[in-house]
Formats: sequence, structure tokens, C-alpha cells
Amino acid sequence: MDGSSGFAHGSSSSSAERLPFVRTRGIAKSYGGVRALHGIDLDIYPGEVHGLVGANGAGKSTFIKLLAGLEIPDAGTIALDTRPVVLLNPEQSTRLGLSFIHQELNLVPQFNALQNLTLGLPKPKRAGLIHWPAVRANVSGLIKRLGINFSLEVPVSELSVAEQWMVSIGRALIRQTRLIAMDEPTASLSPNESERLFEIIRELASDGIAILYVSHRLDEILNLCSTISVFKDGEKVLQQKVRGMTKNDLIHAIVGAEGVAAPPKRNADRLGKRIVLQLKELRRAPRVRDVSLSLYAGEVVGLAGLVGAGRTELANLIFGVGAPDHGTMLLDGSAYRPRSPHEATSHGVVLVPEERRSQGLILDRSISFNINLPFLKPARLFAPLPVVSTRRSTSRANEIMNRLRIKAETAATPVRQLSGGNQQKVVIGKWLTLAPQLLILDEPSRGVDVGARAEIHRIINELAERGAAILVISSDDEELPGLCDRVIVMAEGRIAGELRGIEITREAILRLNYQSLI
Amino acid sequence: MNESLSPSQLNLQMPRGVRSIHLRRHVFGVIAKYGTIIGMFLMIVVFSIAAPNYFFTISNFVNILNQSSLTGIIAGGLTVAVIVGELDLSIGFSASFAGVLVTGLMVYQKLSVPAAIGVVLSIGIVLGVVNGLIVANLRVNSVIATLGTGSIIVGINYAYSTGAPIAGGVPDAFLNIALGTLFGIPNNIVIMAVVLICLWLLINRTELGQRIQAVGGNIEAARLSGIRVDRVKIFAFIVSAVCAAITGILLSSLIGSGTTTAADAYLLNAFAAVFLGSATLKDGEFHIPGTLVGVLIIGIGFNGLAIFGAPTFYQYLFQGAILIAAVALSTVARRYSKL
Repeated sequence: MDGSSGFAHGSSSSSAERLPFVRTRGIAKSYGGVRALHGIDLDIYPGEVHGLVGANGAGKSTFIKLLAGLEIPDAGTIALDTRPVVLLNPEQSTRLGLSFIHQELNLVPQFNALQNLTLGLPKPKRAGLIHWPAVRANVSGLIKRLGINFSLEVPVSELSVAEQWMVSIGRALIRQTRLIAMDEPTASLSPNESERLFEIIRELASDGIAILYVSHRLDEILNLCSTISVFKDGEKVLQQKVRGMTKNDLIHAIVGAEGVAAPPKRNADRLGKRIVLQLKELRRAPRVRDVSLSLYAGEVVGLAGLVGAGRTELANLIFGVGAPDHGTMLLDGSAYRPRSPHEATSHGVVLVPEERRSQGLILDRSISFNINLPFLKPARLFAPLPVVSTRRSTSRANEIMNRLRIKAETAATPVRQLSGGNQQKVVIGKWLTLAPQLLILDEPSRGVDVGARAEIHRIINELAERGAAILVISSDDEELPGLCDRVIVMAEGRIAGELRGIEITREAILRLNYQSLI
Repeated sequence: MNESLSPSQLNLQMPRGVRSIHLRRHVFGVIAKYGTIIGMFLMIVVFSIAAPNYFFTISNFVNILNQSSLTGIIAGGLTVAVIVGELDLSIGFSASFAGVLVTGLMVYQKLSVPAAIGVVLSIGIVLGVVNGLIVANLRVNSVIATLGTGSIIVGINYAYSTGAPIAGGVPDAFLNIALGTLFGIPNNIVIMAVVLICLWLLINRTELGQRIQAVGGNIEAARLSGIRVDRVKIFAFIVSAVCAAITGILLSSLIGSGTTTAADAYLLNAFAAVFLGSATLKDGEFHIPGTLVGVLIIGIGFNGLAIFGAPTFYQYLFQGAILIAAVALSTVARRYSKL
């Protein structure tokens, strides 16, 4: 409770300009002997947009968990307004003015915006019942401040992701927050929506609220933030004002001496020889409308589009999740109508899903377990019997780990302990124990650091060289140029256009995205 | 600008509260992981001191194992169902029905011992398939589905037996299954050992076992890995039903008759054993060795109660308390494993 009186002083006094709101000294945290954070000294000032970048596994999430009271540091102190505090649980962090907005927004989906905004707060009552008009009047100032122009009465699950972000921010503001930590806020926002969010962030900062902005999108960080901290291998390697910094400086700090591998250029003469998959007027209402396309062996095809363009739904149809209402698919020239992922995989059509943790991995199991799971037969102890040989499955996992450069102690390490990039490699790796004909990757480098992204691109290229057809769905306009032989742009369930070779640029993809949306 | 605060103004020591929290979490973690085994040994020590002449004897330990063996088999089957992420509440009723049916087939239908057992085990498979289809294909919550099928099985059981025990005319060959020994070890113990070893191999060393664990770990990821989730679930229910049938058969061999409600109580004991087991050595994960420890704890508890001549109502109190304690321990183990 002394915390709440503390920050009332802090924000009003003139010294608030110079004193950091959050100050950490010597923060360290290890998980079972593995050092996640070491000696972190970080100051976050009121009214500052503080960018936090670093490769996956650099310790950003751990740091945020410590601030949120989800984890307790092994050593070091956290001070708010120069008062040392012990953050034992999320309730305490919230009470002291720290709020956190994660990629998976913490809203109650079936509640409306008003209910979510005021969740857990005392509400004005009339005759013992909640008086919603009064609640609404109470938040009207906030609604105006955030420029919320959507209905507060519909369930938030029906709002767009950007609107849900605004509700989350509003919820923090209602609770008199002093700092909002945002984790990859633009990951599922369209460029317009992102711009909108940036405006709000700048406004909040000018009101004296500190923003801790975690993102892999370096252009955003450079545009938005006033100070940037870079974590590498659990240590802070850089903290400085953003003025004068370039993207290359940042990449250098994040990656260190490792460098970023450029994707190898493939020779084009093996392209266009054999059609692996052909779609004819494939339709599944409402998201996929009459899509026709062909994928060739040895080709990397990008599938671009805005969130909601129907790309994931198209990938699901090809992978046997749901059946099309209309249209046909030909795989290697013969009719292909998968009724389940099992049928798709037995035809050599495989998918790396969008949500690696919830859809791609058994988190509590080992790397070896996950890699071997889809195709167990080759790891049999004795071919006629369905008995698994531990030795064979381990050696298979080791082979994949070497090939994909998965960093982990052993193949027996549970995938939960891996960084995001390494987890993604495990999801890809589980399909490589048998050579796939068609590999679909849905947002393969989302939430993955620059180094891991380059590795994933290297793997994609290698598979294409070996003759697989590859379809890459990506919402990151920087990803597809340089990776793809061809980019197909989808908008509102239809194909809006196609780009080849040197035509594939960020601008061209964006233009096609927006041209069809009038 | 960073110098507005000198380091001395900040307490650079780790606050005391934090250290005690770490300690508390550590202690809870240890209790959750080894508590069941420690508890088992404590029970043995206490009963041994209280009744050295009756409890701490080889014959009594063999007796405990023998009495535990039927719980062990049915709990082993249940373990497979819970690993896949489903509950099977029909096992107690299935076991009772199996006991009635196996004696009935021999007494009324004059089937030979192996034939009667074969028919009952096949019916066990059918019950498992039905449970599995209802859960996997009709998507009925397994608690509700098996509560329903359990009641239907009770109905069929009464229809077949008219509620009266089937006693006279059970062949000696059948009675000798439960009463006989192999190299001096009672058959029931041998059968439990074989069943549990087979289940352990199934779960840990077969392709199906890998799929069972995957479906229980993350059903969506399993499906998107090309696993036919429905089939895996149906199979898990078959294992659970067949193990229940084995328990029912052995029980009727042991008591020499087929009684309509004889094995119903095994349901609670099996659940208590499985959840106690999940808090043993592994962090809230279900596994066969853990289930065996759970079974033994329950067996030792009942044995102690019997030696001290505790009235029947104590058995029910013990049964209920241990079920709740088991699930609580399992939850605690899972919570502290993620830290």
C-alpha cells in the first residue's frame, strides 16, 4: 500500500523528469542451472517509450515476467520510484502501476468492451445491481482519450485485434498504470492498425506513462522508441537514446559477431518443371473464394495478404483440416481430397502451423519425442513390430538437430525450455524425417529473432533444392522478398495478384494488398 | 542522468521475503514429488511399530500385494485413459459385470473356463469401443459419457443376473486362478505384474504409446502431426475396459461367485491410485510405476485398518479422504513443476 502513495508523489513532483520509474540493479535469474538473465541494470523513465530488443532466448520475456511478478529474481533489486519492491505476484505488480499486454490479449472473449475495461473493479450500483449507464459514463473520458469509435456493447471476440488492443490499453489506464509493457504488439496488426497504435503509444508517453516496447520489428522500434535496450544471452549489451541509431547498429548489437546469413540464390532453371499441387476454384465460405493456383517442385512460393485474407484457411484445406465446398485439388496429377491431416501427411503434404506452441508442439515432451511423432515407422526396433527404438529415434532427432542447428543440451530436453526460434525449428524438423512433397509454413518466423529467421530461410531453401514445393504464408512484408521465387497475394479470400523474381518487393506486395480493398 | 540515485540508496541485497518464497516453492516441489513415497514408508513404519506381530511379516506383505493386485490391474488400465486425457467412470461397473458374466457363462451356458474368459474379454473390448466412440466421435465429455455407459452396464448386469449372486457350480479350475500360485507367488500378483509391465511397454515403447502421450499432451498438435486422434482415444478406452474386465474376472474367481455389485468400489480406489501415482516422482504426469505406488499405499492403508479392526465406516472415510488427497497432491505437483 505504501507503493500507491509513493507513486502519487512521484508523478506530481518535478523530480519525476529525472528519476526513473523502474530501476533494476543486478537482476539475475536462472532456470535449472541455465542462466536466463545476469546483472541486468535497466532504468525506465516516465514518459519514455523504451524499446527492448534481442534474439529469442536473450532474456526479454524473463525480464518481463520478473516485472509482472510471475517469476522472482534469484538476485538483484527492482525499485519503483526509487523504493525497492518485491514483486511476488501479478496482483501486486498491477497495484504498483505495472501493466502487461501480451500477444495473446488477456480479455474475456464473451464479455463486451465495457465489461472487460472494468473487470474486477468496483462498479456503481443501483438497488444493489450494477448500473451500467453509470459505468459507461465513468469510462467516457477514457474512450475519448483512446479515440475508441467501436461499440462497447459487442463481445470483444467480435472486435478486430487492433480494437482488442485498445481495450487492453484502456484496461491498464483505468487502473492508473504507470508503465505498460507490450509484447510484439504489431504481430497481428495491419500496417494501418499499427500506425493507429503508435499514435496512441506516443500520446500515452506524452502523458507521462512509460512504455516498455518489445518487438523484433526493428524499423518500428527505431521510429517509435526514444531509448533502446538490447539484450543478448541474458545480459544487457546496449542501452542508448535512439537518435542517430541505424537498423544495422541494432542488428549488430542483437546478433553480435554471428552475422546474418543472406538467403542463397537458387538457379531458376529447375523451376517450372513438375506441378506438385494444383488447385482449381477451391472454395470454402466465407474465407476462401475460388482460388486456383499451381505449385511446382523446387519452388518457394510466398502467400502474402492481410490478416483475415484467408491464407491460413487455404492452407488448412490443403492439409485436410476441413473440406472445401467446391473445387478440386490435384496432387502430382491425381485427385487429392484429404479428409484429415493424417491423409495429407501420408501423401507427403505437411504443415507448420501458425501457433507453434498450441498447434505444433507437445511442450512437456522432449525434442526427440516431437521430431519423431509424425513418422514413427522408420524408428522401429524391428520392422514388423510397432515398437519404438529409443536409440534410433534419438539418432534421428540428433540428425535433424544438426541439420537445422537446433540449440539444446540433448535431444531429451523438453521443448518447453527452448527459445522460440529453436521451438520453431523443432516444428519444421518433425516433418523432415521423411522428405515432404509439399511443405506449407504458416508464419514461420513470427516471434523469432533475426538469426533464427535466417536459419529458417536457409532450411526452406535447402528443402526446395531437394525438390519439395514450398508455400510460405507471411504477414511480415520484409520476409517474402529475397526468399520466394513467386509471391501470391490474397485479399478477402481471392487471389489479388502474383509477383515473380525481381518484381517481388515490399512495396509491390503492399500495393497488391490494398489495391483490391477499395 | 543515471546518477540521481546512488547505489547505497538501493538495497542491493535480495529482500528477505524473496528468499523464503524460493525456499517454500522448493519445499513444496519436493513434497509434491516424493511425498507419496515418503507417506508410504511412514505408513509402513507406523503400522509396524503399532502391530509388529501382525503387520510387519512377510506373509502380511504378500497378503497386501495379493489384495492390491486387482486394484493394480484396473488402475493400470485407467492410467492409459487418463494419459490420453479422458476419465473412465464405467470401469467399476464393467468389472462387476465381467465377474457376473464370466460365472454366468460357465454356470448357465456351460462354457469352458477359457471360452468364458475369452467371451468376457471380448465384451470388454466392445465396451471400450462404445465408450471411445461416444467420446471421440460424438464428442461427449468423457465424465458424462462413461457415467452414462456405466449406468447402462449396471442395467444389463441386473437384466442378466436378476440381481442374485451366481454361486453354485463354478468350476474348480476357475476358482484356482485366483487361489493358485506360481513358484510360491499368488497368481493374482503375477497377473498384475504381467499386466503392468505390458502397459508400461505399451505406453513407453510402442508407436501407439507415443501417440497416446501426444494426444494427452496437446490434442491439437497431435492432430496436426497427422495422428488419428479418434482412434487413439478409442484404443485407450479399450485398454481401460479390458483391464476392468480382467479385474472383474479375477475377483469372481477369488470370491467364488458372480455378484452384481462386487467390483463397484474399485472405481474410487483406481482413481485414488492413479492420481496418487501422478504425484509420484514425476510432476503431475500419469505413469504406470506411479500408479503402482498409489495402489500399494491404498493397499497398506486398508490392511492397517483391517489389522486394527477398524469398523467398516472407517474404510469409507479412508477411501474418500485418500481420493481427495491424491488429486490435491497431483495438482500441487503439476503447479510446482512449472517453476
